[in-house]
Amino acid sequence: MSEINVFNHHAMATQFQVRIAAEEKTYAAQAAQAAFALTDELEAQLSRFRANSDITQLAQLAPGEKLRVCEPVFACLQIAQRLEFASRGAFSVTAAALKNQPTRPLWSLLPNEFSIRCDSGKLGFDLGAIGKGFALDRMADVLREWECPAFLLVAGGSSILAGDAPAETAGWSCGLGDDNSPQRYWLKNISLSGSGLAVKGKHILDPRTGQPARRQNRAWALADSAAESDALSTAAMVLSESEIAEVLAKNNSWLIFLHEEKKWRQLGQRPLPPSA
Amino acid sequence: MVKPTITRREFIGTTAAVGTGLMLASGAKVFGQAKSANSKINIALIGFGAQGRVLLESLLKIDSIHLVAIVDIWDYARTYGERYLKKMGAEIRAYENFEDLLAHEKDLQAVVVATPDFWHAPITNACLKAGLHVYCEKMMSNTIEGARSMVKTMQETGKLLQIGHQRRSNPRYLFALNRLVRDAKICGRLTAAQAQWNRAVTEDFGFPKKAAMPPEQLAKYGFTDMHQFRNWRWFKNLGGGPLSDLGAHQIDIFNWWFGVKPTSVFASAGLDYYKNHEWFDNAMVVYEYPLPDGVARAFYQVQTTTSAGGGYFEYFMGDEGSLKMSENPILSAIYREARAPSWDDIIQKNYIRAKAAPAVPADAAKVDVRETAQLAEFEIPVSFNKPPHMPHLENFFHAINGKGKLNCPGDEAFSSEYVIHKANEAATERKLIAITPEETEA
Repeated sequence: MSEINVFNHHAMATQFQVRIAAEEKTYAAQAAQAAFALTDELEAQLSRFRANSDITQLAQLAPGEKLRVCEPVFACLQIAQRLEFASRGAFSVTAAALKNQPTRPLWSLLPNEFSIRCDSGKLGFDLGAIGKGFALDRMADVLREWECPAFLLVAGGSSILAGDAPAETAGWSCGLGDDNSPQRYWLKNISLSGSGLAVKGKHILDPRTGQPARRQNRAWALADSAAESDALSTAAMVLSESEIAEVLAKNNSWLIFLHEEKKWRQLGQRPLPPSA
Repeated sequence: MVKPTITRREFIGTTAAVGTGLMLASGAKVFGQAKSANSKINIALIGFGAQGRVLLESLLKIDSIHLVAIVDIWDYARTYGERYLKKMGAEIRAYENFEDLLAHEKDLQAVVVATPDFWHAPITNACLKAGLHVYCEKMMSNTIEGARSMVKTMQETGKLLQIGHQRRSNPRYLFALNRLVRDAKICGRLTAAQAQWNRAVTEDFGFPKKAAMPPEQLAKYGFTDMHQFRNWRWFKNLGGGPLSDLGAHQIDIFNWWFGVKPTSVFASAGLDYYKNHEWFDNAMVVYEYPLPDGVARAFYQVQTTTSAGGGYFEYFMGDEGSLKMSENPILSAIYREARAPSWDDIIQKNYIRAKAAPAVPADAAKVDVRETAQLAEFEIPVSFNKPPHMPHLENFFHAINGKGKLNCPGDEAFSSEYVIHKANEAATERKLIAITPEETEA
């Protein structure tokens, strides 16, 4: 197997990692650096903790007002809106607003103006359950542009995006759960995200009720893009099993794993990747 | 609670009170106030590298302008820009160089220049002579003579030349300088300043293999190879190194806030780390400023480390208090000397706000003992939510529309940047260099 170069970077309050196979080390480092630079730009644009980010500015709009936003913010919110619909409201970038408002704010995408309009309430967007995945998707674009297709991108250990497989392998060996999990798959050109309560406690709210997530054990989502898998793994924490089945019935590119009684079960129609 | 007094210049855009402070809200959501296309200022962005893209995001939010073209010698950057802007719904034209831009675009009023430093003077001079107003990124030039030529052309043509020291239009900086340092004299007698902007050791910038420019294209625009093109800031004929890239912003704040130019500079710097660069990577600089109450010394450092923390800031210290400013509000703070007169009055005026109210004993005869308490810390009750460069660009466009003066015109920037060039000179020659007020004039 060819050498894999590993690079780390601190962003979005966690550790990002780029692993690149089959590439000369300096060139791989420069490509990783370009990807990390993009992550920093995205953090500045997507963070609700930056005083001058679009997300912060959106939170200050009154109903009826609109704001032109930069392309990544618009694209991320566009994906978020689609996933909110597809997950039947179990994933929402306005879930955290329920901490300060009786109901979730309403908003509209205005594609012709590249703007977001506040329709009601205050747009307290929190992209914490999609932003890191979105960043991985954009980082992957950079690495493909640099012609480094055999990569594995990791955001804080909770989302990974696998590019092409390293030479002479079936993919990147990715496990569900703690280090050296026995439940492993060979992944390539696919994304996997996990959610749970082990690190941050009961931080996931059900956007539909404002109540903490019902699931006590971890959930994982497999999807073509990391923005999707990131958001879906969070949605899986609040959906009942029957609701998950309904969501997956209409989206056959998704797969969800649940961990209960020391066993993993997968839900969805997407074929399982090969076991590693 | 009293709102802090804020002048029109500090105000910049629409205001809205937030909590007990003052939020300078974005002027970006102005679709309802859109002018007709004809009344907008037609501009071009020359240089579509990393800084050009930063400026672009601000430009796209300013309603009074119309971006008609971008310019970059690198086909890869140009194509990226065209695609990005097309995705954003903007129809623009793209040119390889400024000569082509000037030859084809006959309805331009202004350009924004974000090229490597050594191209600033030729491009700025040509655009000013073509009748355009120019916003040029700092440093004005990699040479003093280049910068001086820009001021001369500005004066000869009567066109506006704004230099991109964007903190000069930052409402928080304007408020802190005008209200806290000058009106309230919160620092008392200023005795020292310290600023830093350290950065971690990284790989040099690379480029996708497929995007390499041919040697003849690089040579045409003054570069020996792609490495030099991508890392021009480190080469002496192209840029000014870290003291110029990072220090320029902060040493400019020394000059602006002290209100005088230094009388001397000495520096120690070295090319310690990157053996394939020409400029220093670690540098320490000390200036002496002749203030009315006596000399104030200002120390600046840029180092190849970030693990010591601290971020980037400008710290002004006096015998009654210290004010730490940063473009990042989280890094800003105000501290009071024990000997300072009461700050109750300026707190009442809402010039500053206590981060945590100092404890007032209910019973002065009693005390409880525990861990050492944090030093009392105060903050500036003004924030703004625009991208950092946006107010400075807006100031430029307002000035074009006759609605105000430039916050950093070329002649003012020259005298500030002159002493930055002198820091590089002092470090190179390893000696103290005296500076006269006359020589800082263009």
